[in-house]
Amino acid sequence: MAGNVVGAGLIVEGEFTTDEEVVIEGTVRGTLTTAESLSIGSDGVVEADLRALSVVLAGQVTGNVTANSRVDIQAGGRLIGDVKAGRLTIADGASFRGNVDMDV
Amino acid sequence: MAYASVIGSSSVIRGNVRGEGSLEILGRVEGDVGISGDLSLGPDAVVVGTLSGARIVIGGSVQGDVTGTEAVVITETGRVVGDLTAPRIGMSEGALVRGSVRSEGGAPSARSSSARSTEVRAPAPIERPALRSEGRGSEGRGSEGRGSEGRGSDGRGSVPNSAQAANFAPAANSAQAAKAPAKKAPPPPVIQAPRAGARARKRMLKR
Repeated sequence: MAGNVVGAGLIVEGEFTTDEEVVIEGTVRGTLTTAESLSIGSDGVVEADLRALSVVLAGQVTGNVTANSRVDIQAGGRLIGDVKAGRLTIADGASFRGNVDMDV
Repeated sequence: MAYASVIGSSSVIRGNVRGEGSLEILGRVEGDVGISGDLSLGPDAVVVGTLSGARIVIGGSVQGDVTGTEAVVITETGRVVGDLTAPRIGMSEGALVRGSVRSEGGAPSARSSSARSTEVRAPAPIERPALRSEGRGSEGRGSEGRGSEGRGSDGRGSVPNSAQAANFAPAANSAQAAKAPAKKAPPPPVIQAPRAGARARKRMLKR
């Protein structure tokens, strides 16, 4: 089980810092930093700058995303913001507006 | 039981957490937590802020008021500095509490309980000043409005309830003991009040 779960209906506002995995099915506003992977489920809504080892995005994110390894935007996922990551995938059906920095 | 949301043991949230569903906190929250469902704090959890929820089980540390619409339970590892309000309150041996305990009501929030407070305030207005001074003497904290209203209703509105709480809640016990004489012989409590406060303080120190 994931270390952190922001379940549907829950709203976290402010600065969220952790060393564990994070799963978001609810709402997060502010900043979120994790040393592990971050998953934003299809009902997840994030208005925050995100930093994580890796990010899987199936919900809605407004904010900049920084990942040490990779970012995957899945079908149905929606990202408005810049991505800084070594690897990025954008699935067919995902929407994305922002800049990409792949450290080249 | 599985909680819908979990804040992990290494996590720190500086800000508020609110919304629907149940939540388990194992890490640290510096802000208010208000949810509609059950709330649980693990033994290493720390919350600096108010807690509200349906059934609240506290195994960690809380600095702030705790309001449960169903129940508040402090386990043997729980520590609370703040007021406890819920229809049912439980405390295990080893739990540390500093604040007033009110086992009554079922309103979502103690602050929005105007209807309930007028209803229980009516019968004996004579007792109110004494109860208020007792409240301030023994606690020295909490807002004036809530303190007096809560004590006023505790004294006569819900005797079975608070008596029940007294069985396992030392803080409620002292409050109850202080109030008992005031109920039999109405006027003197102005003098009694500071003494009751000192007694409560002494008890607190012994713990």
